Amino acid sequence: MELYKYLPQTNCKKCGKPTCMSFALELLQGKVKISDCTPLIEEVKYKEKYEALKELLGGEGGKEKQLHIEIDEDLCDGCGICVTACPVNARYCPPTLSGKAPDVPHDKHQLFEVKDGKCVLLNLEHCRRLEAGGRERECRVCEIYCPREAIEIIYI
Amino acid sequence: MAMERIPCTGCSLLCDDVLIGTDGIFIDKIYGACLKGKERFNQPIAENRLTSPMIRKNGKLENVSWDVALEKIKQILANSSRPLLYGFSTSSCEAQLKGIKLAKKINGFIDSNSIICQGKVLNVAKEIGMTLTTLAEVINKTDLIILWGSNAAASIPRLLNKILFSRGKFRMTGREIKTIIIIDPVKTASFGVMQLRDVALHIEHGKDLELIRVLKEECCKKDSVLEKSVAGIDKEELNRLLLNLVGAENGVIFVGQGILRTHSDDNIIKELLELVQLINSRQEKGRMSLALLGGHYNMIGFEQVALSITGKNHSLQFSDNNLIETKDTIINKIEKDDFDCSIIVGTDPISHFPFSLSKNMASKPIICIDNRKSATSDIADVILPSAITGIECEGLAYRFDHVPMQLKKVLDPPSGIPTDEEVLNQIIQKLDVS
Amino acid sequence: MPMKMIVNIVRMVDHDQAKEFAFGDEKSLKENLGIGFINPSDFEKLGLVKSLRIKLSNSFGDIIIEQEQDENVPEGTVLMPVSIWSNQITGVEKDEIQYKNIEVEVEATRDPVPEYKDLILKIKEK
Ligand code: SF4
Ligand code: SF4
Ligand code: SF4
Ligand code: SF4
Repeated sequence: MELYKYLPQTNCKKCGKPTCMSFALELLQGKVKISDCTPLIEEVKYKEKYEALKELLGGEGGKEKQLHIEIDEDLCDGCGICVTACPVNARYCPPTLSGKAPDVPHDKHQLFEVKDGKCVLLNLEHCRRLEAGGRERECRVCEIYCPREAIEIIYI
Repeated sequence: MAMERIPCTGCSLLCDDVLIGTDGIFIDKIYGACLKGKERFNQPIAENRLTSPMIRKNGKLENVSWDVALEKIKQILANSSRPLLYGFSTSSCEAQLKGIKLAKKINGFIDSNSIICQGKVLNVAKEIGMTLTTLAEVINKTDLIILWGSNAAASIPRLLNKILFSRGKFRMTGREIKTIIIIDPVKTASFGVMQLRDVALHIEHGKDLELIRVLKEECCKKDSVLEKSVAGIDKEELNRLLLNLVGAENGVIFVGQGILRTHSDDNIIKELLELVQLINSRQEKGRMSLALLGGHYNMIGFEQVALSITGKNHSLQFSDNNLIETKDTIINKIEKDDFDCSIIVGTDPISHFPFSLSKNMASKPIICIDNRKSATSDIADVILPSAITGIECEGLAYRFDHVPMQLKKVLDPPSGIPTDEEVLNQIIQKLDVS
Repeated sequence: MPMKMIVNIVRMVDHDQAKEFAFGDEKSLKENLGIGFINPSDFEKLGLVKSLRIKLSNSFGDIIIEQEQDENVPEGTVLMPVSIWSNQITGVEKDEIQYKNIEVEVEATRDPVPEYKDLILKIKEK
């Protein structure tokens, strides 16, 4: 919760969130923008914090970091664990329920597919980190379970 | 291009869900197969594909016609009274049958790769029984998976995907309700799939027997709690293992090479089988079963074929065209130099066997039947190329859980290249004409 | 100073001989199979630097291989992929091939890893 440190921590609710902590959480998930916390921008005493926060999130004002899922081709051995484990795949590709490879051509929601012995990311739009709400948005299943540590979820 | 689901012959898991797109000449789309499987499907066009019969002349391998090569084999076999036949674990059951027929004909000794893998487990199991399970059962019902001495993530890449992450037919949750216990001295890649509830046991090298004995003793007692650490494993972890073992509804122990290879005597297997039986006898609602992990895809096939026609699952010695009793295995046959030529089918013993055995083998004529170059073909005297079973020809194969699967043909073999079965048949026929 | 260690021969997906043979390149064969993995603390105890190789020897034979550090390998252990290189130090005991817990003496060396060709020749020579 590093982000929290850079917020005013006054729980003034101007951002529409009950606490600074919950604002920080949503900031991390990319649901809100830094500029939504008006005191941070308006009040001079927070200027340092604001700059630091901008630095941390790497965004210019309203531009926030983007979710990326990177798969290291050299490490991946195509075990297909990410394909089976990803809850989005499980929902839209019935074969994965019994550990099988999803059908080809793939469903438009499908996130991963193993092609030529390597895992490829088909599209990111339907990843729970972008689409779902609540705790599901914290999904990291693919990253956690890849036995070869080939998957990395990052925000750039 | 139509995609087709076919079984992969990359390892003993024989994944039957791999999607292949082909134009009949090349396989150009492979979906779902792991890296190992992909290599397998690339075999038809691999650099080291054997495409012509070869014989060694003045120390160099030369391409020759089939007739010349077969003639040479006939010559070698004519001068041999104690031939060895080895391999067969990457051939179809049909070819294995032919192999045994050939062995019978030439009074040879035939053995498959299972002898250096899990053949001995079945030997012991013949006496005291073994609770097996099938992959489907593991996928659909299992709640406890134990990997003992096996780094499945590296040797059978898709195993964990199928058994641990699949959800199965009867419930919607997968990984969440399955517990995995890995017993291994090395922190292998397989440990990467663990979560909080799972148990990682770093056992000391070679202490498996000790652990089994303790477990055997403890699992009979009611509510037993271990007081001290065993085999380098902390007592808390041990108690968790024990709790899982006796509490699982449907547990399965995957036995890997780590446990079989570390102990050269059969004792460990016996005790392990007994442990499983003990747990089962105490279990009220669930059961515990074993699954043996092997490498080559049709190792079990040979055991099944040999067992069904001779009553013995490996190490068959023929004399006067009849099976005779022997305690020998291929290993001590080669060690004792008790052979005078060898026929190797679809495997690469020179890369597997210790140097001393390789040397013994190299001092006698070697006939190699395979689809690819290997260390063995590099020292062979006669090489016969063959089609790749499961890609270029059909056949029956047994999955690691003893379930037979029909392999499919998707490509034509290069012209003039017969299947393993046909090659062996040609040798048999050649021997028939005097 | 030779050090006593044990060798475990394993199968690894990225050090798989079947795959290496398929590339038909003896150089990659040697690079990927003539290799052993050791714990960083053993690396230090053996006085190794990256450019040095290790020589394993026991009653069955000896072999020089490249070394790589891997902290997941327990101390006192060398992990090697099954290959014609690892075969030089394996042997038969009680009618079984020893693939695990093979005792060896390990020392650092500057000598090169033997070539695949030479090992094949060594097998063939009378
Ligand atoms: S507007 Fe800023 S200071 Fe006020 S509660 Fe939200 S985050 Fe905290
Ligand atoms: S983070 Fe979750 S939803 Fe997104 S790709 Fe990974 S497993 Fe799928
Ligand atoms: S889980 Fe990791 S190793 Fe397995 S297919 Fe996905 S990225 Fe590759
Ligand atoms: S796990 Fe084995 S059978 Fe399955 S795709 Fe990989 S190599 Fe083929």
